[in-house]
Amino acid sequence: MTRNYIDAAVKAIIGPWSEWIEAEHPLESSELRRFHQATIDPARRYWDRAYAERSRYGGLVAPPALPVHAFRRLSSSLEDPFDDRVDPEFDGSGRYMRPGLPKVPVPLAGILNGGYEYEFFSYARVGDRIRCRSCYRDIVQKDAKRGPMVLVIIEDEYATGDGRPLLRSVNTQIMR
Amino acid sequence: MHYEDIEVGFEIPTISKGPLSTAHVVRWSAAMENWAPIHYDWRYATEHDGLPDVLVNGSWKQHVLIQCVNDWLGESGWLWRTSFQYRGMTVPGDTLTAWGRVTAQRPAGRYGVVELEIGLRDQKGVETTPGKATVVLPMRGGPAVPYPFDPAVLD
Repeated sequence: MTRNYIDAAVKAIIGPWSEWIEAEHPLESSELRRFHQATIDPARRYWDRAYAERSRYGGLVAPPALPVHAFRRLSSSLEDPFDDRVDPEFDGSGRYMRPGLPKVPVPLAGILNGGYEYEFFSYARVGDRIRCRSCYRDIVQKDAKRGPMVLVIIEDEYATGDGRPLLRSVNTQIMR
Repeated sequence: MHYEDIEVGFEIPTISKGPLSTAHVVRWSAAMENWAPIHYDWRYATEHDGLPDVLVNGSWKQHVLIQCVNDWLGESGWLWRTSFQYRGMTVPGDTLTAWGRVTAQRPAGRYGVVELEIGLRDQKGVETTPGKATVVLPMRGGPAVPYPFDPAVLD
């Protein structure tokens, strides 16, 4: 019989929104450079300051969905995530799917990104402080050929520190 | 570009990335500080997770889709909504082509709303990332699409 992973502990984390969490540092031009170079996207609004200042954006801006990647390990974090690398179940994320949300208490080893829904309102500018709040919209179990998998549906809202909306997203993470 | 320039069935210009290598994956993982080993540890990916190879990040592929739509839109339109599912795995050696096709259009307020089917197709023709996009375009003789974008202007 297939184990039911959606127990009371899992149900308890569905629904509540997190507090607004602010990325540790404002969007940096070097961060933006590494991003658009890694995505092989040479649009001038990302690197040509004079062009960007004349544009509707008024300055260098980030690719639309960059805010979802803006939350990095804190500089004050003394716990090295690589210490878990000796754990054969180490998945690189430690089950923290968003900075403001609790871990998903499901003991499945693998995590895959299932997809996104986005609604865009504006782009983050260099110097913007990026804030995010999140909730687990739902967590459901499905049985696949390889065994059970748990779909974690996460809703996020991103805005700048001064309250300008950036985007909304709904992301599906697949635990299996 | 204006709303009146578009009709159902119109195909936007494609963009291609690849052949992708492990170096592309590692460059992205390092830029994003994503240390999930399925993206750089071949033994973990294949033996522990049962994957065919290390995987090109879905989080990377989404930006190629968005880039394709935004390159077409230029600075006059606005990519309002998009959604996509990562259905097919992409591994080093693959080449991805992003594409889009207009499926519907309608006036909304003083602007035009255009719906597209979008996707990422690999070199074998497999659709790895099917999705949709909704963009807003100015009407000929109408106001520019406002930035920041407020969906209320479409009411």
